[in-house]
Amino acid sequence: MAGSNEVNTNEAKKVVPLNTWILISNFKLAYNMLRRPDGTFNRHLAEFLERKVPANTIPVDGVYSFDVVDRATNLLNRIYRQAVDNEAQWGIEELEKPLSTTEIVPVIIFFHGGSFTHSSANSAIYDTFCRRLAGICKAVVVSVNYRRSPEHRYPCAYDDGWAALKFVHSRTWLRSGKDSKVHVYLAGDSSGGNIAHHVAVRAAESGVEVLGNILLHPMFGGQERRESEKRLDGKYFVTVQDRDWYWRAYLPEGEDRDHPACNIFGPRSLSLEGLNFPKTLAVVAGLDLSQDWQLAYVQGLENAGHGVKLLFLKQATIGFYFLPNNEHFYSLMEEIKSFVHSDC
Amino acid sequence: MGPYDSSVSAGSSSSSGSSSSCSGKPADTIDGLLAGAGYRVRSSELRQVAQRLARLETVMVNAPTEVSHLANDAVHYNPSDLASWVDSLLSELHQPEIAPDPSTFSDLNYIAHTQAGHVLVNPMVSHRELSAGTEIEEDSGIRLVHVLMTCAESVHRGELSLAASLIEELQGLLTSVDGERGIGKVAGYFIDALSRRVFAPQGASLADSAFENAVLYHHFYEACPYLKFAHFTANQAILEAFSGHDCVHVIDFNLMHGLQWPALIQALALRPGGPPLLRLTGIGPPSPDGHDSLREIGLRLAELARSVNVRFAFRGVAASRLDDVKPWMLQVNPKEVVAVNSIMQLHKLLGSDPSRGSPIDPVLGWIRNLNPKIVMVVEQEANHNQPEFLDRFTEALHYYSTMFDSLEAYSAQLEKSLAEIYIQREICNVVCCEGLARVERHEPLVKWRDRLGGAGFTSLHLGSNAFKQASMLLALFSAEGYCVEENEGCLTLGWHSRPLIAASAWQAMPNIHSHE
Repeated sequence: MAGSNEVNTNEAKKVVPLNTWILISNFKLAYNMLRRPDGTFNRHLAEFLERKVPANTIPVDGVYSFDVVDRATNLLNRIYRQAVDNEAQWGIEELEKPLSTTEIVPVIIFFHGGSFTHSSANSAIYDTFCRRLAGICKAVVVSVNYRRSPEHRYPCAYDDGWAALKFVHSRTWLRSGKDSKVHVYLAGDSSGGNIAHHVAVRAAESGVEVLGNILLHPMFGGQERRESEKRLDGKYFVTVQDRDWYWRAYLPEGEDRDHPACNIFGPRSLSLEGLNFPKTLAVVAGLDLSQDWQLAYVQGLENAGHGVKLLFLKQATIGFYFLPNNEHFYSLMEEIKSFVHSDC
Repeated sequence: MGPYDSSVSAGSSSSSGSSSSCSGKPADTIDGLLAGAGYRVRSSELRQVAQRLARLETVMVNAPTEVSHLANDAVHYNPSDLASWVDSLLSELHQPEIAPDPSTFSDLNYIAHTQAGHVLVNPMVSHRELSAGTEIEEDSGIRLVHVLMTCAESVHRGELSLAASLIEELQGLLTSVDGERGIGKVAGYFIDALSRRVFAPQGASLADSAFENAVLYHHFYEACPYLKFAHFTANQAILEAFSGHDCVHVIDFNLMHGLQWPALIQALALRPGGPPLLRLTGIGPPSPDGHDSLREIGLRLAELARSVNVRFAFRGVAASRLDDVKPWMLQVNPKEVVAVNSIMQLHKLLGSDPSRGSPIDPVLGWIRNLNPKIVMVVEQEANHNQPEFLDRFTEALHYYSTMFDSLEAYSAQLEKSLAEIYIQREICNVVCCEGLARVERHEPLVKWRDRLGGAGFTSLHLGSNAFKQASMLLALFSAEGYCVEENEGCLTLGWHSRPLIAASAWQAMPNIHSHE
């Protein structure tokens, strides 16, 4: 095992640019230090190491951001919007007018990744990503600072996601279009994708409108070891062992990975048939060891009669979208852009 | 000013940054994409950093127990400097250092802060979202901010009669919002400040009795953790700097009631190997009526030191302004190790007199000549020294709104009101005053780094141990919403992701020609 690690490092280096390799390897090693074998997590060191940035009402690349605390939950949401041309208005937040009364401006509620345990809405990597997302897709992005495991296990992240959805729907200043409503999409990478799915289910069950789901290599799993997990274990930044740790940290104690939070179309899950479930854009990275679970998810949605588009990026590793230095990043952005504007 | 350009990492100095630097030497440029992720790595070093990461991984895989040492015992510094961070981990693994005795630092927890925790009882109103609940009030709040900004703009343009009528309108609008919380409260203070500026510019600055100031300061100290964080973080760093030295001298730029020092005295008393001889020089304004408040505080501290067997000597230096202090007044002994402690004082030196220039430079000069082992600098993390009035006003509105938000959780009403008056004085100074009278010239960490770097100081990084202690302390007695963040070797304390106060440590760069 020890010897094979040298080979593995070289594999990953061949398929990603050097600065991406450094970024993701840095996370991998830091996270390795933070996860304890007994299932606890070194939160203080994690927060110390996390690179964070404040919101900025001065636009950068045409996008500015500001933080809003949801009074009901004390959760932070970071909002990203296109800058207005009138320079005098920069720095002053106009929270009374809708986004537009004529055009539809999509509002993407984004749940950051981190395997339910790491990162925040104000993490530098996610702040930068959301800015790019808002700017390229001409959308408003709402990044949710949900509570993380192991301190807050299932279903906290889903509850926080649901609270964020209701918060967004009730903001008059997020409305757009002639029908004057909030045009909501749910999105997330890794655990964020998992959260987006579960919030969408609850929304569908409760009659709350979600126009679409965007799942970026979402975190799904199950007790069984799938072929992709065995084939890619340890090869591209991720190991099966670390995935297991994060599930143990998130799921209720004593549970296994066939829990419905984890295994969506598994033996213990409720059927999604007949539910008014939104259309889904599922992005799968071809070098992600969890892909078999993600592909099974796509199949499951199709079987249940729901619209799903699969964007399979064969040579992409996890985290390919953190730095815009590869073609996968641009493919992703184009897909998301047309996905959120297809109803206009 | 927008310090967070997408190609420059958070907190970096404005001169470094994107790969389109004008130095013409590609070797010196920082990788712009990694900078956007919060990491500063020179493009020329990418390969090397990658190699070290790969080596670190191999070591970690082969020795899992070492990983636990890295996480639990090793102190981490400045994770933004990825190359150094990886190197420090590698050297930890090859030569494991003796872990510092945790009890030395944990005592600071118990001694310094005995205040009971205040649990968040009211949901917080974000400084960005302007409403208290009903739709009607939401609209009034928003209208209030609109008119407030318009008024500030008219002041900025010198249209004073327009400003005056807007102030009247604002006072009317205030009656339709809740003046006790949220935007109503903050707006009230800013309207008051604008009113002073427009109607009474001569007497604009609030009456400045030192006694009143001290009382208000004390309540600000109790009602929110900013000063406690400052004191605590500074003491940690000073304690470390004094390690192994027998004669130590702390120079406090603003003694006040000396609230910072009992904890340090106690910690020195308990340090392994015994306490040093501690000298404390406290600078403060002269007291009226022949009263010597500096000396009184010195006596109290001496009493405490005596009770814990720490040899202690105190000297008070009365000066109404820091630039009135001359180094000979401090009587620094060449054999002793010096710590300079400046909690929210340096920004007062940034105003300039046309004839004399800015006092900051000569003061930084003499500090450096003292050859201090450590200079602790804590400052408000805000840009209240911008040349244009409107920019200052806008920044201050956001900054103090956040600060007032954080205060809302504090339940003791009287103390909270007095703490608010403390803050109000700062607001008034930022908004009403100009020239030398405007002393609250806060500048952000980015600017202080440039300034101190240029004055011959080098950064001493505050590490993961200081971070952890500060976080734990906050969790003990402050409302949820406060957070400590690491920023390239410095620590900030903020409210809900907005840093409000920044602590940094410095030492004099070695002279090329040293006169020993």
